[in-house]
Amino acid sequence: MTHFEMELEKLKEVIKKIGTLAVSQVGESVKALLFEPIEGKEVKKTEIKIDKLDVKIDEICQSIFALQQPVASDLRFIMASLQISNEIERIGDLAVSVIKRSKSIKEKHDLISKFEIGDLAKEVELITSKTNECLQTLDEKTISEILTLNKNIKSKGDAIIEHIIEEMKSHSKVVVSGTNLVIALKHLERISDHCSNIAEYVYFMVNAKIIKHEKHEDLNIDKLD
Amino acid sequence: MENTNTISVNPFAKTSGKGKDIKETAVVGITQIAVILIIAILFVILGIIIYQGRDKFSWEFISSFPTDGMTKGGIFPALIGTFILVIVMSIAAVPFGTITAIYLTEYAHEKSKFAAAVRFSIRTLAVVPSIIFGLFGLGFFIQFVGTGMDTAFNGGELHWGQPNILWASLTMALLTLPVIIVSVEEALKTIPRELREASLALGATKWQTIKKVVFPGSISGIMTGTILAVSRGAGEVAPILFTGAAYYLATLPGSLSDQFMNLGYHVYIMSTQSSDVEKTMPIQFATTLVLLILTLSLNLVAVVIRSRIRRKAK
Amino acid sequence: MRDIKIQVNDLSLYYGEKKALNNITMQIPANKVTALIGPSGCGKSTFLRCINRMNDLIPSVKITGEMLVEGVDIYDKNVDVVNIRKKIGMVFQKSNPFPKSIYENVAYGPRINGLKDKTQLDEIVETSLRQAAIWDEFKDRLDDSALGLSGGQQQRLCIARTLAVSPDIILMDEPASALDPISTSKIEELVHELKEQYTIIIVTHNMQQAARTSDHTAFFYMGELIEMGKTNAIFTKPEKKQTEDYITGRFG
Repeated sequence: MTHFEMELEKLKEVIKKIGTLAVSQVGESVKALLFEPIEGKEVKKTEIKIDKLDVKIDEICQSIFALQQPVASDLRFIMASLQISNEIERIGDLAVSVIKRSKSIKEKHDLISKFEIGDLAKEVELITSKTNECLQTLDEKTISEILTLNKNIKSKGDAIIEHIIEEMKSHSKVVVSGTNLVIALKHLERISDHCSNIAEYVYFMVNAKIIKHEKHEDLNIDKLD
Repeated sequence: MENTNTISVNPFAKTSGKGKDIKETAVVGITQIAVILIIAILFVILGIIIYQGRDKFSWEFISSFPTDGMTKGGIFPALIGTFILVIVMSIAAVPFGTITAIYLTEYAHEKSKFAAAVRFSIRTLAVVPSIIFGLFGLGFFIQFVGTGMDTAFNGGELHWGQPNILWASLTMALLTLPVIIVSVEEALKTIPRELREASLALGATKWQTIKKVVFPGSISGIMTGTILAVSRGAGEVAPILFTGAAYYLATLPGSLSDQFMNLGYHVYIMSTQSSDVEKTMPIQFATTLVLLILTLSLNLVAVVIRSRIRRKAK
Repeated sequence: MRDIKIQVNDLSLYYGEKKALNNITMQIPANKVTALIGPSGCGKSTFLRCINRMNDLIPSVKITGEMLVEGVDIYDKNVDVVNIRKKIGMVFQKSNPFPKSIYENVAYGPRINGLKDKTQLDEIVETSLRQAAIWDEFKDRLDDSALGLSGGQQQRLCIARTLAVSPDIILMDEPASALDPISTSKIEELVHELKEQYTIIIVTHNMQQAARTSDHTAFFYMGELIEMGKTNAIFTKPEKKQTEDYITGRFG
């Protein structure tokens, strides 16, 4: 393996690490939302780790740009890695926000079971782990699955939020919990959005086509090449 | 049908008329005539020599002694004499010339006055008329060194202080020294500076570099120089006139202090002092033919080697 | 900088009256690749040749200052220049193999050091050719003339030849400038492997090559050392504007 290839491998390793940490953070946030509040220390540690890895990825990419003059697929890989790292760091951040919010939601079990929030949360977990998988396999099918999942999560999430707002209008007791729950759900939606962004960057890496900001209904991923 | 209404001008057509053409042809013609003239003269000379000498020219001619006052027989002793002369000359001149050339290319500083003096001397030596070498050989080698040796070793008895093949060879060596030096220098110059640098950069001393890199590269130059020197030495007569050549010897030279016969000298003597010039004429031409063949073929070999060196340098 | 292999103090070089190197002070770290960059005529090659005293071959050259290799000033009167060149090898811009066989080229150095034993020479030749990553290519034709090889092969042969005398430091004067891209990248990879065992100083007019291959970079301009530092720093945030201008191609 050449010196340059070793640098690229190093970068891949760090991305794997940060992705795995983000998945675990999201897992913890779902647990915190659906069940009992959790121990804050581990989550804090992981958050710090994620931030450090994000900075490390920035440094590695800058070094490769300056010293190795990457072109073609290597260039796309570095460019995408910079942005993916950014998205992953946001996911980590949002997961921590969800955990914090969860503490302020009382009587959530009723709201949760009433509006099938458990299913939504599980889907967010799924999209996150699929995204992490996609980073390793760079598989196009996975990309399209992620994009579809995100759409579902978005529409489901929006529907649930509407229901909660209706509930809040009729039962003023649940306004505080309801508002916090809505905010937490918004965070979950954003996590899913970032996963979709990551999938778009992976697409760019593989196909040299930039598809961010495009409406994916117009794209039929399976038919693209 | 297209309407081709264009004025066709051929940009590549021949311009300017006959004047330029005539000049071109004239120049080519003149050079061609000059070349033909030179070749023709050469052929005429060769033709005469070959025609006049062809009767006598045979293996017997080369291998037997002259008889009947030089009017019959062969030129064997002259051939051998010439042979020994050039060998001794080479032994003296080649190492000396090679070392000088190596000094000039490897050791001499560009601004060195000594090196400049050496180079000047070589150039001067190259244009000195060959008879001067003969006089020098007589005065220095025979009368000074030779007599000195006799006084020192033989108690005054005359042995070295007279013409012999040693002094003749050394005299001839002086004549051909410039040729050798120039040839070796030429070969040394084709060795690129980078090779010397590579050797030095590996931790070799200057002498090691010369021994292992420079000297092997100069061998072809030494060969060319030697062959040119030999062909010159075989043909020159003036330097050996008073230093060792003899008209007739019954036996071949047995030691360095003996005199010797020589092809060029043989022709000279036969054409000016022989008893019967008419009878010796064919022998003269045949001898000349032998000498010519010898020198021409040597020169040819030298040219071939030299062109190989030049091609390698590119 | 952990280990310093070469310490240069106030080194100046004059060609007669003309000052070509102006009070250079710098440190070369051990077992790293240091690149010397700068525009044509800036003195980087001249400086490189000071390290193994090849400038001694030019009669009008005068050198002042110190060049300490592992603490010893190589310009000291008591130092034997021949021994220096055994410790500090050089690979030239244009490959210059001897007109001998591949084997004899590599064995040249050990032979002039007095080594005669065939087995030992065979071993050294093999080791050196392996280190230069050309053993497999050449092992069946060691008796072939070196002059019949391609430019890239010749240059790697010259590297093997330099390695055969077991130097500590290898100087490379634009080693790949006359080569095609594939040969160039082979040499760059080789430099990377060699730095485990040797200290390497490489002059290059190709900045990208300096960026790819070196750990430290020194920028020369008009006979002066403008800036020196870790390559990563020089190419991402150089301290002097002159350095930045040169690297970004604004001049030179």
